[in-house]
Amino acid sequence: MAELLEVKNLSVSFETAQGEIQAVRDVSFSLKSGEVLAIIGESGCGKSVLCKSIMKLLCNKARIKSGSITVDGVDITRYRERDMQKLRGRLFSMVFQDPMTALNPTMTVGSQIAEAVRVHHPGMSRDAVYQRVIALMELVGIERPDERYGLYPYHFSGGMRQRSVMAIALASAPKILFADEPTTSLDVTIQAQILDLLRDIQRKLGTATILVSHDLGVVARIADRIAVMYAGKIVEIGTAEEIYYDPRHPYTWGLMMALPAYAKAGEPLYTIPGMPPNLLDPPKGDAFACRNAYALAIDYEEMPPMFKVSDTHYAATWLLDERAPKVTPPLRGGRNV
Amino acid sequence: MIRREFLYYGKKLLVFAASILVLSIVVFYVARLAPGDPLVSYYSDRVEKMSPEERAWAEEKLGLSDPIHVQYVRWLSGALHGDFGISFKYKADVLEVIRGRLVNTLLLGGTGVILIFGLALLLGILCAWFEDRWLDRIICKAGTIISCIPEFWLSLVAILIFAVWLRVLPSSGAYSAGKSHDIADRIIHLILPMSIVVVEHLWYYAYMIRNKILEEVRADYVLLAKSKGMSRRKIMFRHCLRNVMPSYLSIMAISVPHILGGTYIVETVFSYPGIGALSYESARYQDYHLLMLLCILTGAVVILCNLLAQVINERIDPRIRANEAAEMLEVKQIG
Repeated sequence: MAELLEVKNLSVSFETAQGEIQAVRDVSFSLKSGEVLAIIGESGCGKSVLCKSIMKLLCNKARIKSGSITVDGVDITRYRERDMQKLRGRLFSMVFQDPMTALNPTMTVGSQIAEAVRVHHPGMSRDAVYQRVIALMELVGIERPDERYGLYPYHFSGGMRQRSVMAIALASAPKILFADEPTTSLDVTIQAQILDLLRDIQRKLGTATILVSHDLGVVARIADRIAVMYAGKIVEIGTAEEIYYDPRHPYTWGLMMALPAYAKAGEPLYTIPGMPPNLLDPPKGDAFACRNAYALAIDYEEMPPMFKVSDTHYAATWLLDERAPKVTPPLRGGRNV
Repeated sequence: MIRREFLYYGKKLLVFAASILVLSIVVFYVARLAPGDPLVSYYSDRVEKMSPEERAWAEEKLGLSDPIHVQYVRWLSGALHGDFGISFKYKADVLEVIRGRLVNTLLLGGTGVILIFGLALLLGILCAWFEDRWLDRIICKAGTIISCIPEFWLSLVAILIFAVWLRVLPSSGAYSAGKSHDIADRIIHLILPMSIVVVEHLWYYAYMIRNKILEEVRADYVLLAKSKGMSRRKIMFRHCLRNVMPSYLSIMAISVPHILGGTYIVETVFSYPGIGALSYESARYQDYHLLMLLCILTGAVVILCNLLAQVINERIDPRIRANEAAEMLEVKQIG
């Protein structure tokens, strides 16, 4: 399968009064068509910025410092707003974190979906647009779409709004769907429904999906591959199997152990000690070193490169260097869950 | 549904009537208690030579000798029958005195409000579009400076430049002698006062709409609209402006009295024969009946505009209509 999206050594920074915030640092990954890649990490590790920088939805204070973004064989790194407009919606689109604010409160849901249909099909007849909107609403599981076409977002529950946002995102049949924490602001039962919907749609339409989340449990349902991000860098990437059953980076271990599934009765839930570093002035060496019980001396000095574990599995930790002492991971993979 | 509408507007009407009543009482008392001799406006200089008996007779004749509350009740019952009394100075029915001048003020104030409304929207959009670029900065800075200049001073400077030095525009009046029906002449007389009214108020509203738009531009739904592939122009006009409009309309409704106040000052400086200049005059000469009518008229406009703003806020914005629509939906589903 050809690579649909290829990001190479991407760095994104924000100019602020305090200085430069290095939100994404030297990130490389690729996405095949029809694949689901989950990006996992704590708040503020650069997951959302990474997605938005690919779609160029960041504010004008953000700058792509280096690296390249190639979509469908075309390098779009230097694309300007006008060129991006033609790609957005058709090549990639996005589902946002908070469905409460993502829809325009003063426009009916139907007309907002219709707008998305019409953007890339300006000549479409009124009737055809309506039929397409109804079909989209059915696709995302909004019942009785013809009645709900003319309702406003405030008539909808959070889950229904998120479904509407998905209908908008899917309106022009994009090849890549970015789902930026699509379930974070929904309650748990709705979360599961939306995730199932994402998976169904992904299977039905074959849309490649990048699912951003801070919850390893959430992505387990649908991800083919998982990338773990920390302090603006991808620290481990591999297939879902490899990440769940054979994690190699101490940060991934920490995330796994923090899952309630690993908690023992009567003991408090595990948390990774310390705080993520300030990206205004990221530390030398491995940014995770100071929170890492397995940190080696070199971690404080030099940034670890991506070590290859298998053809699909890479991790950035000096523990994988052949000179490193052997450590036993605190958990024996996910097999015992 | 109809009953609810009726109740809604009935309530507003009641608020309006009560406000006008309170206003009339306050103005009536304040005017009578203020120092000054109302007889001067009726008899002018002759008052000085009047004997106490003559004064008493004159006051009796003009109905000024009774206690204030008696005078008020008399005035109120007359007003309710459409009789607002006579003007001491013009010695004619106050309605007659006002009639000719009202048109002049409506022309100046009304056109002014419409111009400000349109230009402020345009400028606001322009500034928001070029946020923090040089155009936006210049407009915002220049606007702040100009709107800090007092209106009367700006009027005087404009008269000095355009009427005295350049001699291209008339400095006062609404029309040249004998040309009261000449439209071109009227327009020439309107240019200076109108420019002052517009230039003074424009910036404040332009700045307000700029900030409202910028608030909207940063909203999440703009990001979604962008990610569907919409152009910036379409997002601005279809999404952002739509959300700004209800609050802008209500701001404009409230602005009418504000601009009207400005018109009064400008009228006085330009000796423009509108009700602004007239109310200044009537307050100065204790022309009670004229003052009452003008205050009530102005007050009515102010209160009406505020009520209008309320109605706009409560009715036009679908977010506020939410509850009502939700109820309708329930009814539909049950049925």
